[in-house]
Amino acid sequence: MENNREKHSITASYYPGCSLEGTARAYDLSSRAVCWELSIDLQELPKWSCCGSSPALKTDKLLSTALSAHNLNIAGAQPSDDLLIPCPFCFRRLLSAQQEMAEDPELKRSVEETVEGSPEKPVNIHSLLGFIHDRVGLDAVKEKVVRPLAGMRVVPYYGCYLVKPHKTTQYDHPEQPVSLDELLTALGADVVDWDFKTECCGAGLALSKTDTVERLCGRIVKEAKWKRADAIVVACQLCQANLEMRGEKKGNLPVLYFTQLIGLALGLSPESLGMKKHLISPMPMLKAKGFGEKRPKASRVEVGE
Amino acid sequence: MLRLTGSPTERAFSQEIIRMSGQDLLECLQCGKCTGSCPIASKTVTGPRRLIAKILAGMKEEALKDPTWWYCVSCGTCAGRCPVEINMYEVSTALCEMAEAQGVKPSEPHIHLFETLFLDSVKKGGRVRELKAVMAFNIRTMNPFKDMVPGMKLMLRGAVSPKDLMEKEKPDPAVARIFERAEERKGGHGK
Repeated sequence: MENNREKHSITASYYPGCSLEGTARAYDLSSRAVCWELSIDLQELPKWSCCGSSPALKTDKLLSTALSAHNLNIAGAQPSDDLLIPCPFCFRRLLSAQQEMAEDPELKRSVEETVEGSPEKPVNIHSLLGFIHDRVGLDAVKEKVVRPLAGMRVVPYYGCYLVKPHKTTQYDHPEQPVSLDELLTALGADVVDWDFKTECCGAGLALSKTDTVERLCGRIVKEAKWKRADAIVVACQLCQANLEMRGEKKGNLPVLYFTQLIGLALGLSPESLGMKKHLISPMPMLKAKGFGEKRPKASRVEVGE
Repeated sequence: MLRLTGSPTERAFSQEIIRMSGQDLLECLQCGKCTGSCPIASKTVTGPRRLIAKILAGMKEEALKDPTWWYCVSCGTCAGRCPVEINMYEVSTALCEMAEAQGVKPSEPHIHLFETLFLDSVKKGGRVRELKAVMAFNIRTMNPFKDMVPGMKLMLRGAVSPKDLMEKEKPDPAVARIFERAEERKGGHGK
């Protein structure tokens, strides 16, 4: 495995964002583990800060853009030209800040005065999903699958910030995205098509307007159950927390990160992927599908189309 | 038609929102796709279409008190479906900035409180401490035991750490300076 890594290793800067060191450790853990397996060398940005998230975006355009610019300046000083961001909000915000400053010289000037500097070089900003799907490529992922997710019925849930608005994210399709479907198919999972791929979960209103979020998440989880899914697969920690916590009063439908499923298919143990950290434990479902604790014999299995 | 008439101060308001947001609201067709798509539109939160109508009609007070922009989570659904590509979350920011500069009382105090606590946390430590912000919010809204059961469960499973609650933030001077300077500029620009 070591030899393999050196041959195809890609180095990329990594911006985890606040949630991944707070309430979404499973996402961070599985992202790092999977990147390691896929020969992506993640270099965490030194002294990265919050992007301001939706509170800054809502209340103060300059502050919001400046916080993103601050991190873009840090990224610009790193050796890699690529910046990987697992959190879709951070991803969209940094990308958007880069675009806004390119389009508006006056904003650029105020932001540069506010952060006292400008990037040494522009970086290419990727969502982690986008990078794995487009840059690493599905064939390379498929090649490394040792434990196809056969028999696991999953509904891919993209949420909003990764794909909307398309003008900003330039990723996949805002209403009918397919990249996560394709990735999960490559892992051997039984991907179920549904209409709720990009329905909003209520995002940052979880605390201040809990009833709104319960209404939105309730619909999504209900639909996933009606589709007889074994799990909802997400690319966003806010979607994950909302669907798990606000989807049903006593929920039992696991909500997993796409990185956890890649890891599982690559033969990593559920525990090392943070599967035991969930409010709705996926362990009963994983055991029933034959993905319990024991690692498989490391023989490579062919995955069909 | 309303958009072409009205007193100069009424027109000044819509022009200012258009300038600040960079969104050409004069193009709005009032087709209602935005409100039809909006996840937070409800009987009481009337949604983007009406909000644009208020802005164009120069109904400044009503627009600055409209709960829609407070609820807006910037999902971007309306922006993608709008036939003239108006991005409403940019308009939300413009309204929020103006409401704050002019001392308009937030019509959604809970959303306002959460956003304030969140940014306070970022200002203090460079990164938001989610658990601390949540706890502060629940205490300030007199609901300290909200989500206690799932919270404890997550802690027991190692998903969140009690350290996140106890540990003091390590200050990030670069971020604190950004906040200060952004604040100064607001003081200079705001009327």
